[in-house]
Amino acid sequence: MINRRNLFGASAATASFVGALFGSKKASAAISSSKFNAADVEPRGSNGRLERLPRQHLEAQHDFITGFRVFANRDMNSAARRRIANIMRAKGIDPTKKLPTADVLKHVGNDPLVAASARMWLSAQQINWKTLHDEFHGNADAYLAEMEAADNVGPGTLELNPDMAMPDYVTHEIHIQPGGYVGDPFAGHIYHYGTNNFFEGRNDQDELHIALANAMPEPEDGQVMRVLDQGCSCGQLSVALKQRFSDAEVWGIDVGGPMVRYAHMRAVDIGVDVNFAQRLAEDSQFPDNHFDLATNNIMFHEVTTEAAHQILAESYRVLRPGGVYYPIDFYTGNPVPKGVYSTFRQWWDSRWNGEPWRLGYAKFDMASAMRKAGFIVNEDGPPSRRGSRRNIMGVKPA
Amino acid sequence: MAGSKSSRKMYTADFIKSDTEQAVFLDNPLMDDMMTSIIALGAEVWANRRRTRTIELLFEKEGTITRNMIEGYVLTEEEEAELRKERDAFIQLTYGHIARTGEDQTALDISAKDNPGKSSGVDPEDETTRSGDAGMRMGGGS
Repeated sequence: MINRRNLFGASAATASFVGALFGSKKASAAISSSKFNAADVEPRGSNGRLERLPRQHLEAQHDFITGFRVFANRDMNSAARRRIANIMRAKGIDPTKKLPTADVLKHVGNDPLVAASARMWLSAQQINWKTLHDEFHGNADAYLAEMEAADNVGPGTLELNPDMAMPDYVTHEIHIQPGGYVGDPFAGHIYHYGTNNFFEGRNDQDELHIALANAMPEPEDGQVMRVLDQGCSCGQLSVALKQRFSDAEVWGIDVGGPMVRYAHMRAVDIGVDVNFAQRLAEDSQFPDNHFDLATNNIMFHEVTTEAAHQILAESYRVLRPGGVYYPIDFYTGNPVPKGVYSTFRQWWDSRWNGEPWRLGYAKFDMASAMRKAGFIVNEDGPPSRRGSRRNIMGVKPA
Repeated sequence: MAGSKSSRKMYTADFIKSDTEQAVFLDNPLMDDMMTSIIALGAEVWANRRRTRTIELLFEKEGTITRNMIEGYVLTEEEEAELRKERDAFIQLTYGHIARTGEDQTALDISAKDNPGKSSGVDPEDETTRSGDAGMRMGGGS
């Protein structure tokens, strides 16, 4: 996860940069706020499309956490990287070469600076989640009432499936978020605000998701009538996709009921017509050949290899001939990072930051898996974000 | 989820609890907890400092202050930028020295630390006071 910052290191400029590639078809952060009901909990108003955190003190705590993450990601990260390089060189080992994880831990795990770096990042993460969890749970009834009031209001629709069977792999506390995506009624709220400071304030207006939506390649025939966002979490990309493809029917699906509930409420509040449903990406319930475009953002590293294959097969099924599949995640179309430090951070992130499937994903050959599912694969598809030269994409043969 | 007082429908499912709270990075669980406490205290100090600044700004502009005014105040871009600078300086002052822990430790020192019989610079006691294999420690119960 520590490396996500680099992958997602876009700024507001990204939107204009990527938008320029696609002419006038751009999403934007402009909103037509529709205050859907009197239950709306927004005591401190909104900043654009971001509802301000409900207390000044909490907002200030998160301002600190944002600053602290910058410090941890840059100063501490750099110091630990230098230290690990020094340790390895002192042992006569080239730090740029890949070593087995067990060897890396044996060599560097005992260093106090490396340990402090990991500890500080993790402590900030824990404080981040706890402050948000306490806020929403401390006022649970009001926030639940707010979602209840929006559940059956448009624009857009919400489908909840509380009795659906959940595969074990989706029930972990990913990113050590309390309750994970399925176990906390405020998973969407907590994820949204928690990731805002993870993005160091650069996504408060969904800038990064808007840039991703604007980077999305279209089918060759230009027809985009239906769009699917798999593992949509709190719906930021789904909303941005609707804003880019305004004539299309856009669906956001996620296994987390509280996630899609929050996503729907937020889309209603912003005034964007998106359909959200609590469904599995590998069992989406849509008809064959239904979508023109299917995508997902940072989903694949959070699923098992087995599920990844199932999701690709399902994606192939629901896309129409000529339809485009554009998965966005670490290393898709990019080389797997090498070197001792990357190995350490990947292990650490997986083991302690609640990314149990990330190491499996790092070894996952996405291109081969997509071909196996039936796609014509382009490993040099258009980049999804600034700093990336390419993104893998697949087309369902006509 | 524990902690919620509401009879309303939650739409939650069972989940697998992370064991990260048991992670020990700094030799002793108390040290780990102390680090978290210090960072949490930093957040509180900064939150109070930001509130104080908000109160000062409001008093300068309005000549009066209420709690609602503080809660509702929106910093201007200039005020936000100034506070961000102040925040980053506060973080550097408070935590920056940790990033420089042993920064003058050379490759030779590190090598010596691995082979305390050979040399120099590093107190061999440092090695003996740290217990257990690092990989195992950071790996916890995995």
